[in-house]
Amino acid sequence: MPDNRWGLPDLGLGVGLRTSHFAHILGERPKIGFFEVLTENFLDTGGRPLFILDQIAEHYPVVMHGVSMSVGSTDPVDFAYLAKVKALAARTRALWISDHVCWTGVLGRNTHDLLPLPYTEESLRHTVAHIRAIQDFLERPLVLENPSTYLEFTPSSMPEWEFIARMAAEADCGLLFDVNNVFVSAFNHGYDPYAYIDAIPGDRVCQYHLAGHTHKGTHILDTHSDHVVDPVWQLYGHTLRHVGLRATLLEWDADIPPFEVVHQEVLKARTWRDAEAANAA
Amino acid sequence: MPHEEQRSEAAVFGRQLKLRRHRAGAVRTSSLRLAVAGETVPAQGQFALDRMQRWLQAVIVHPGEVEEAIASEEAARELAPAHLTDLIRPSHSLTAAERVEIYHGMYLLRMVEALEADYPALRHLLGEEAFAELVDDYVRTFPSRSYTLNRLGDHLPQFLLDGARPYAELLHELARLELAITEVFDADEAPVLTPEQVRAVAPECWPEARLRPIAAFRLLTFRYPVLRWLDAARRDQAAPAPVRKGSRVVVYRQRYSVLRLELSRPEHALLEALAAGSPLGEAVAMAAAGLRERRREDEIFKAFRSWVAEGMFSAIDL
Repeated sequence: MPDNRWGLPDLGLGVGLRTSHFAHILGERPKIGFFEVLTENFLDTGGRPLFILDQIAEHYPVVMHGVSMSVGSTDPVDFAYLAKVKALAARTRALWISDHVCWTGVLGRNTHDLLPLPYTEESLRHTVAHIRAIQDFLERPLVLENPSTYLEFTPSSMPEWEFIARMAAEADCGLLFDVNNVFVSAFNHGYDPYAYIDAIPGDRVCQYHLAGHTHKGTHILDTHSDHVVDPVWQLYGHTLRHVGLRATLLEWDADIPPFEVVHQEVLKARTWRDAEAANAA
Repeated sequence: MPHEEQRSEAAVFGRQLKLRRHRAGAVRTSSLRLAVAGETVPAQGQFALDRMQRWLQAVIVHPGEVEEAIASEEAARELAPAHLTDLIRPSHSLTAAERVEIYHGMYLLRMVEALEADYPALRHLLGEEAFAELVDDYVRTFPSRSYTLNRLGDHLPQFLLDGARPYAELLHELARLELAITEVFDADEAPVLTPEQVRAVAPECWPEARLRPIAAFRLLTFRYPVLRWLDAARRDQAAPAPVRKGSRVVVYRQRYSVLRLELSRPEHALLEALAAGSPLGEAVAMAAAGLRERRREDEIFKAFRSWVAEGMFSAIDL
């Protein structure tokens, strides 16, 4: 199975860095592949968060994951923000910088939500142009995550997986493939998640996300508040077969349990990775 | 004795939450028919991206129910409500409006959560419902225009003072104190004056010495004893009676912990003069004015020595 085209390393298994785990991480130094940090939490602080992050980055590989790049917004790209992102990446020696295929606001406002894009030719052209400008500024490939979404635009002219694949190719960017998001969106929009996975260009995938969600009956919400459900593990296994081994991260952002619980949850991925490694051999 | 400020999880490290905050219940089935506006709307496939985004944002940030948001002037300018399905596809289980409502319902919750993290005592004093109403009003006037939620609450103290809420001045002062705590938490780290640097100053030089406070330093005066409200919130106790009594507080950071200290009037006068760049001798004289001779040296210099030891200053200019 091919690696990603930039040779970004398979960091193994990691978790999102969260405040309630600081003492455990710095005190116990758990054996873990990497930490993913939420970019915006560190851009405008000179206090404890940065002090903690510096210590984490000294002992573990770090990747950055943002929520405000807004690559699909029709507002101009915010280069002042990107300058801070770039500086933080240099400070932490982040192996890659990721964000989402979404927009967060227009007319100078920020809703601080990851809003869905219509999957149209216009949207694609616009998003690709933004990604290219961002990558030129950051001087590295941007890695973008497929979103979980709760609505679809009637004017969309292609499925999400086609939009994502074409966007990645035309912008020459990387992908952070969120397996749970595919499951969530597939239920909400009524499509086949396996068809989605099979359409993803594996050589552009640099990282996977796994997470729990909340099933509301009529729809699924991407709450990151629970264990990963079996169907998502099955999808993860299928993704490994189609794409290959990549750095895999568990997100747990609400009702956060002790570090060991989160760590044990991501370690379940080892079984799937071992099986795939055996298959590949 | 300084008190350490215990900060909430979100305030310490996580205002930018990646996940979406959702209402506890399922999406409410709409019983309200959307009003039909008279304007001509584009046919399917002709929506420009900027127009779609303007419409969705207008709906999401509009207060009230989603039907009101879809029918609002800002949203209807982009899309006539009757033509909603030309833009939003219904799902196997939700109408177009119900799908939009998922995003609409999350917006205010996110704003409330962000401001709760920065203003926990204000939230405690007002209660859940009144605080949510305040946030609803506030973000209509001061919506986020930044990539970060950390600065969302910067205008809240002034907004409270300008508003017509009961005890507006008290709420304003409590918000000022909480904003100062946030600012001190996030301020740049700076080297602190060391005992060696202090000892190296010749005695005759002290009257002309100017002390520079660290960046993580805020000096505040209030017409209410706002620390009582802060403490009540921290202990989850009932709010004290709103009785006016002047108070003075310094908020600063020591080894990444935010501390606050209530000051006497002369102590405040000394710190204020030093922070403004006055030489130490002049600042002490100003602070000691009005005090009985015998108390001057004890009170002023004891306080000054403890502030230096606490790490409130970063440098001495001679």
